[in-house]
Amino acid sequence: MTTAYRRLIATCQYFLGVLAILVTRVTFGQTVDLPADYSCSLCHRKQGELWNENTPLTDESNMAGDIHWQKGLRCHDCHGGAPTLDKFKNHRDDPEFRSVRLRTSIPGFCGHCHSSIETMRRFAPSARTDQEAEYWTSGHGRRLRASSRDDESRVDKAVATCVDCHGGHGILAVNNVKAPVYPTNVAQTCARCHANQTIMANRTFNDQPLGHDQFDQWRRGVHGRALLEKGDLSAATCNDCHGNHGAMPPGVDSVANACGTCHGKIANLFAETRMKHKFQEARLPGCATCHGTHETIQPSDELLGMEGTSICARCHNPQNPQYGATVAGEAAARAMRDRLEQLKDQIAQSEALVRAAERLGMEIRGPRFDLRQATDALTNARTLVHSFKPGPLEATLGEGLKVTDQVQAAARAAMREHTSRRVWLAASLVPILMVVALLLIYIRTLTPPSAVEPGEPGSAGH
Amino acid sequence: MKLLSTLRAFFDERLGLEAVRALARKKRVPNHGCSHFYYLGGMALFLFLVQIVTGILLSLYYKPSPDQAFESVRAIMTEVEFGWLIRSAHSWSANLLIGVLFLHLLTTYMMRAYRRPREMTWISGVLLLGLFMAFGFSGYLLPWNELAFFATRVGTAIVGVIPFIGDHLLLLARGGEDVTGDTLARFYSLHIVVLPLVTFGILGLHLFLVQKHGMSVPVLTAADGEHRTPSIPFVPHFLLRDMVGWYLALALLAALSALFPWELGTKADPFASAPAGIKPEWYFLFMFQTLKILPARLGPFEGEVCGVLFFGLCGLVVLLVPFLDRGGKSRMVLNVLAALAVAFFIFMTAWSWFSGPGQGVRQIMLGTLLVAVVLFLLIPFARAHSAARSAVYVCLAISVIAFLSASGWELMR
Repeated sequence: MTTAYRRLIATCQYFLGVLAILVTRVTFGQTVDLPADYSCSLCHRKQGELWNENTPLTDESNMAGDIHWQKGLRCHDCHGGAPTLDKFKNHRDDPEFRSVRLRTSIPGFCGHCHSSIETMRRFAPSARTDQEAEYWTSGHGRRLRASSRDDESRVDKAVATCVDCHGGHGILAVNNVKAPVYPTNVAQTCARCHANQTIMANRTFNDQPLGHDQFDQWRRGVHGRALLEKGDLSAATCNDCHGNHGAMPPGVDSVANACGTCHGKIANLFAETRMKHKFQEARLPGCATCHGTHETIQPSDELLGMEGTSICARCHNPQNPQYGATVAGEAAARAMRDRLEQLKDQIAQSEALVRAAERLGMEIRGPRFDLRQATDALTNARTLVHSFKPGPLEATLGEGLKVTDQVQAAARAAMREHTSRRVWLAASLVPILMVVALLLIYIRTLTPPSAVEPGEPGSAGH
Repeated sequence: MKLLSTLRAFFDERLGLEAVRALARKKRVPNHGCSHFYYLGGMALFLFLVQIVTGILLSLYYKPSPDQAFESVRAIMTEVEFGWLIRSAHSWSANLLIGVLFLHLLTTYMMRAYRRPREMTWISGVLLLGLFMAFGFSGYLLPWNELAFFATRVGTAIVGVIPFIGDHLLLLARGGEDVTGDTLARFYSLHIVVLPLVTFGILGLHLFLVQKHGMSVPVLTAADGEHRTPSIPFVPHFLLRDMVGWYLALALLAALSALFPWELGTKADPFASAPAGIKPEWYFLFMFQTLKILPARLGPFEGEVCGVLFFGLCGLVVLLVPFLDRGGKSRMVLNVLAALAVAFFIFMTAWSWFSGPGQGVRQIMLGTLLVAVVLFLLIPFARAHSAARSAVYVCLAISVIAFLSASGWELMR
């Protein structure tokens, strides 16, 4: 290559660089400060002087939004190699160059920085550096490693690696609402593979088929609706139960722990029950047995007790008890449900009385505030149901009922006060009408006016 | 006693009280079969005074902002000593005042008291009725409760359909596109500053004209000449009878406040959807119902526009009654129009008041009751033992029987 030819290329690259800056600025409002002699753009962009059909292209339109790009990292920071033309070597001859051509090398490629405490400290000091290690323990990591068995041609290409979830170029920060790993998008991201019947066909975990309908189930469940319809970011999505980089189906014994991540108090109560041990003996997954797995049902009081849609009745059926369910359990379920209904009924009555008093303009703010304690007691009682004993429930419900009694008494007192006002106001009619009667009597005693006063009939003054 | 005489002499010299006393001694009021209707004016004045006093007391605690209006009214009703009574009295006296003014207008028309030279007295009276309705409309929003908020939204929207100036008037009334805190501030200012100032002026003129021209004598009574009509001294005969009217108004106020205490309601939420059954105050119901049932288009015109223009025209006719009544046929036309207007008012009010399904019996109850009241007022205007008097009695009896039957039916249901 002659010097003149090199100069020509350098000049072209300069103008291409300027053009790229302008396009990116206009498109994203971001500054791209690629040096004019940046070696990567020579081959890996369509306008690059040395690009040919066999050279992988980089979609630059995504780059400005890329979190790495925004942090100042450029191609060579991830891919290695020389960033300038002067020092450029063919990739095959460059020991500094890091390839991602092999799927098994992708976790290590990302882990080059993300597993390095020193590197991550510079850019995101609080970020974890064990994702790569976690990944290799995950279902994905294990399957990837097992499928390749040192022969890349046999690798299972459907197994997710970092780029399948986070993207390749144009990786968005995890707190970016458009990121595929943002809470509202996680399930859709997982569903790209896990809801694909073709990909998931014949795949198993612990000899159990993995299935492909988890996403649809989750979407119909209480968590999916909370997240997707209400935008509740605290609602559980795939990674909250299965883990992120170490994603793995929780075992039968650890379901309650997975649920307990958010529902801690309930998990603690459940852990101390006999039912937990019964479930373990029967190899039943803790919470999921009653509440469902991916399609977690909306919790309601109707699940408790022995009537209608109650879940307790499934096992505590006196005619056909399951898994050693007892009659005492049936009685406990009935008792707990009855007491819950009692408090609910009292809260509803209190609410109606308070609202009626409010509408009448009576002072009822104190009892209105106190009524929250009864609602709190109801919430606590619903949690305590998971102890499956009426005893702990009784104390909490008793507190709630005490509050509703007080609120109702206060509301009724306010209504009585209102009635008493009306009675006294009505009583005021008596003196008023007495004055009217006295006036009329007095008018009768007045001397009758002369019949006609000529000339002055219409000079009354009002 | 000497001190009193000294004080009287002091004020006589400076204020000319002797002239007032002389006037009171000299003043006489016509006494005839319809003279009871004179007391309606006194009752209206008394209720206006109740409005002023209770309004001043309420303004001590009321805070005109969306964040505080409802809370301040609640505080008035719950924390201020007898605040509930003041508010109830203010609200009920406002309604009673409008009711008394309607009756005053009707009986004044029946007595044809607008005859020359009392045209201006009539016009000022009609303007006062309009002003008090504006008082009611502006005051309705002030508690900032759900019903008031949405009723005001509907009410002000009607202004927007007036051709050419509707949009500007709507913007002026609301202080923006929708009912907001700006609307509340405007209504408050209107309610406690603008309207009272205008009302005092026109009321002063009205009272001056009543004093100047004296009480009108109905045509029937004055057939033999107005100056030959029997009369009674203003003090004490008429004044004491007037006071009976005031006390009766007070008793009615107490009874209504006791039977139907004015509620606080629920705080307005501008972002919530309008609750069912939104209605304005009873004296706007006839207009509200008419606009509600009008079709979207009447020929080439919008239905609502036609409705608003129709009521505007009606108001103008009422205002110009003294000039439209030229005797003979014109009077007959006016009487027919007045009868139709009263019937229309009663029919639409009864319809709108009980507008839900299965409310027909209650509509009949209210309608027949109001008809009976109007017929009762008509009795003195029909000559005794005449066919007209008999016709009034028959109609009155039918109304009462219909009312009692409907009431009995409603009670048995």
